[in-house]
Amino acid sequence: MSARAAAAAFRPAPNGLAGAALLVLGWEAAARAFAGTYLIAGPVDVLAYLSGNGALMARALSETLGNAALGFVAGNCAAILLAAAAQLWPRGRAAIAGLALLVFCLPLVATGPILRVLLGPGPGPQIVLAALAVYYTTFVPLLVGLRAAPASWFDLVRSYGRGPVTELRRVRARAALPYLFAGLQIAAPAAFLGAMVGEFTGAERGMGVLTVRAMRALDVEATWALASVAALVSILAYAGIGALAEMVLRERPPVILSPPGAAGRGAGPARGALVLALAVAAWWIVLEAAGLPTFFAKRPDDFWAAFVTAPDAAAARATLLGALAETAIYVLPGYLAGLLLGAGLAIAILLVPAAAAVALPLAVALRSVPIVTSAPLLVLALGRGAVGTVTLVAIMVFFPSFVACLHGLRQAPGQVLDVFDSYAAGRVARLVHVQVPAMWPAFFAAARMAVPASVLAVTVVEWLATGQGVGSLMALSASLSDYDMLWGSVVAVALLSGAGYVAVGAVERRVLAVYAAEQVAG
Amino acid sequence: MSPGAPPEVECTRLSKGFDGGVEVLREIDLRIEAGRTTAFVGPSGCGKSTLLRLIAGLERPSSGAVEIGGRPPAETLRRAGLAVAFQDPSLLPWRTVRGNVELALKLARRRPRPRAVEDLIALVGLSGFGDARPAALSGGMRQRAAIARAMVTEPGLLLLDEPFGAVDELTRRQLAQDLPRLWEARETTAILVTHSIHEAVMLSDRVVVFSSRPARIVADVRIDLPRPRPAGTTADPHFLALSDRVSAALAKGMGDRADGLAAQ
Amino acid sequence: MAGRGIIGRRAVLAAGGAALGLPLLGRGRPAHAQAAIGMQLSWLHSVQFAGSYIAQDRGWWREAGLDVTLLQGGPNAPVEPPVVSGTALVGISAADYTAAAVAQGAPFKILAVAMQKNPFVVASLPGNPVAAPGDLPGKRIGMALANTPVLEALCRLNDVDASAVTVVPTQYSAAPLLNGEVDCLLCWETDLPVAMAVQGVESVTMLLADHGYSVHSQTYIATEESLAERRAELVALLSGEVRGWEAYREDPVAAARLTVARFPDAGLDLATQRLQADRQVPLMFSDLTEARGFGWWTEEAVAANIETLALLGRDVTADLWDRSILEEVHGA
Repeated sequence: MSARAAAAAFRPAPNGLAGAALLVLGWEAAARAFAGTYLIAGPVDVLAYLSGNGALMARALSETLGNAALGFVAGNCAAILLAAAAQLWPRGRAAIAGLALLVFCLPLVATGPILRVLLGPGPGPQIVLAALAVYYTTFVPLLVGLRAAPASWFDLVRSYGRGPVTELRRVRARAALPYLFAGLQIAAPAAFLGAMVGEFTGAERGMGVLTVRAMRALDVEATWALASVAALVSILAYAGIGALAEMVLRERPPVILSPPGAAGRGAGPARGALVLALAVAAWWIVLEAAGLPTFFAKRPDDFWAAFVTAPDAAAARATLLGALAETAIYVLPGYLAGLLLGAGLAIAILLVPAAAAVALPLAVALRSVPIVTSAPLLVLALGRGAVGTVTLVAIMVFFPSFVACLHGLRQAPGQVLDVFDSYAAGRVARLVHVQVPAMWPAFFAAARMAVPASVLAVTVVEWLATGQGVGSLMALSASLSDYDMLWGSVVAVALLSGAGYVAVGAVERRVLAVYAAEQVAG
Repeated sequence: MSPGAPPEVECTRLSKGFDGGVEVLREIDLRIEAGRTTAFVGPSGCGKSTLLRLIAGLERPSSGAVEIGGRPPAETLRRAGLAVAFQDPSLLPWRTVRGNVELALKLARRRPRPRAVEDLIALVGLSGFGDARPAALSGGMRQRAAIARAMVTEPGLLLLDEPFGAVDELTRRQLAQDLPRLWEARETTAILVTHSIHEAVMLSDRVVVFSSRPARIVADVRIDLPRPRPAGTTADPHFLALSDRVSAALAKGMGDRADGLAAQ
Repeated sequence: MAGRGIIGRRAVLAAGGAALGLPLLGRGRPAHAQAAIGMQLSWLHSVQFAGSYIAQDRGWWREAGLDVTLLQGGPNAPVEPPVVSGTALVGISAADYTAAAVAQGAPFKILAVAMQKNPFVVASLPGNPVAAPGDLPGKRIGMALANTPVLEALCRLNDVDASAVTVVPTQYSAAPLLNGEVDCLLCWETDLPVAMAVQGVESVTMLLADHGYSVHSQTYIATEESLAERRAELVALLSGEVRGWEAYREDPVAAARLTVARFPDAGLDLATQRLQADRQVPLMFSDLTEARGFGWWTEEAVAANIETLALLGRDVTADLWDRSILEEVHGA
């Protein structure tokens, strides 16, 4: 199977029709099982709704899809520029990666109103939110991809006296392509969902607006018709990007040989402090430059006052830390569940290629159905306890891990797989000795992406189901105009994500020093 | 000095160690004449390739210095005054043979030279494979493409690291005939790292024999065979005598290691 | 539907992450454009704001020299920021939200009150009804935890043991009631019960306002600065509102039709809009508005509001309400 089976990473398997049929049948079965709960509509009802409301749906789709497409382009371009800058300017790498992480951590509840005030009633906030939903999951794999080339190629460039820019153009850009495509595939459903959720900030029209109304109106057919269209669009975009990747990436991945360097400096305390200082400065400068009122756009000094110097600062701190503790309990299990589900599914597809026909569309669908639509069903089935919470977080987090690992497994060098072929080695042997080691850089990219994603996901679940923790606190603060507490929660979420990111980095350096020295050099 | 003018290369008390305390080269003093072909021979893993990379400016010495034409290697690099044919052909898999050869011109900021590119591709025996991607080529063909890539910029200093390792015997003989003509015509300074005594003597004006690690020079054999050297040269008694000298030196260098191990 | 409804209507959906947008992409509209005025609605377009649509449709604002943009709300579109930043001159809020914002330093005044009676209800099914606060103990109630103070205030007002009620945090939807996750819901009279009725499910609603819960809802708010400097625009804007809502009162069905026709992309359904239009009439219109006109309030009502707000943990004075604009509108 080697490269050929791994190419399933990019497109639905040829037996996709059978797989799709199986999915639709499962969906109908679930709808029947939950009939009478007003939580799910099956494919038959959805088709009936679509046939009766096609024009409305088409108008909403064109609005949301247009915004999603613009956000997709903008977010991915930003990711490419950021990754190129981080590569060309190694000293700035930690700062760029750190700020990119922190911006990704900002929850919609804080940014939505700001974007609406800044950008007005048009599609601006939806586009920006779609872009924000995708840039990070492209940026992180690109950082890995830009280093994923044999040292000898860089020697070649340097032997002609050319520097980092030529390296980037002639070697790194191409070496990063598989990782770019992984990022783009992750971005496809994320951009659409981002545009939909962006409409919650007061957009006039689109599929997000219709979803809010349909759920409120107990219109399950409309709710699931919207979710189905979102999922279908995402699946098509995913498959389209996959087909493009297959056209472009025709060569088998090279053996990446890289001398073990004297590397392994992580984000030391000094760098961490620098990133923090830059973040605080950026926070202040951006809000000042935009001239936003401090009523809802709190500055760092407001935060300091509210949580350190004010008379009731101790109470505010206690509230925030209490909520943070409730949240933190679920972050690690949710994170691990999401990451392992993603990696496990990718490996399963490699071992049982036929499973791709069902697993791929299901994975994309799970990611592209808005969580507000699917959460009530899962809560009903699994409850509001640890199982339900962790499952919901895992569902929101697993997709980037899944796609990144699928592409990572595909980076197994063709020459090495040939050697295994010559011994007629089995799938498991290849997996253990070649494909999983080749996957490690992508896996750790996934592990990094999953950190802020799982923190945000826990806050969403808290808001949707458990009514606890920072997620609930943010919702409450926003509704009561307690923007000090809201921004405090944002800071807490960002710090929690930052800590997780640093922890992942420490593990990553140990593993990649052995498996992919090029990733940790310098 | 024009980019292509052959420089001399001077190594002074050159040492190189890697992390973990592995000492690869110890105090190498070596002067390589301009416009000549010099072969480095030595046991596997002795540090020949490291010396080549130091000369190419791809590694920094732990102590001592390399000078190319009296300047540090970095300057030659900046002028694209040298080219390396690597042991691993390191072709970019997404470019064709022609694309890989042309890439060297681009990297060296030279004008396109379509004729020269085609001639070189033909010379290394890849006529008709200009549009093939590396994946479609045999290992030997890839190595030949890498040699063509190294030569297309007509560098003053040409560094060849086991360039014929994967090339079949017949083609190897043919290349050994054809390639030197090219670089001799322009009096290129060429340094060839090889395991093959036969190849070293056949191709070069001088063979430097290294001991096992840390590499020291154990012999420096001048090859005063007339040029051109037709295929029959290998039967020439003088060729055989030179080969024997190199071979004896090599054995002595490896013996050093055995002694060293015994002494420990 | 503004209001304390649920956190879902104004709150987080952090999914997908988010950020400080591109800071200099645009500064939005200038804070004080000449005759262009924004009014920030508290929820998605629906018959809830039909009075405004009528005013706009019949050109009453245009005649008064105003170019009004109705800014739609949403789950993640709080009313207060655009009003503070000047994007909107007026916002549709509720007394409790306004009190909370004022406590955080926002200089808001309530200019008019559309919903005299607070629209909060406890909705239940006839087989297991909550008809009075005394029915609550032992029940599971679905709501946002953020609304716990509302439930507690209701219980205090009616001497009911709040700790005997089990709160289940749910999304703002009737589904948890219908699939048996909860026994009742804390929601608005005009949304989830309407949705159930349209789906053919009869429900029992207990209006909190009938049990001592006095919090003005769908209130018009503006900043003190606007009140001082932009009185003429405020008077013109509210005049249009008053005329619009009086027209609504005359013919709620026409108002529902206008709403559906005006927003073809909003997925509105006429049956739902008509029912909602009917159900909000008794909340908005009373003998008082009959006598003094739309939006009016009495000192007694303000006193009752202050009392309920105190139970919710909000200490406000009668200064929060400013009737001067409304008095000009009604020529009082």
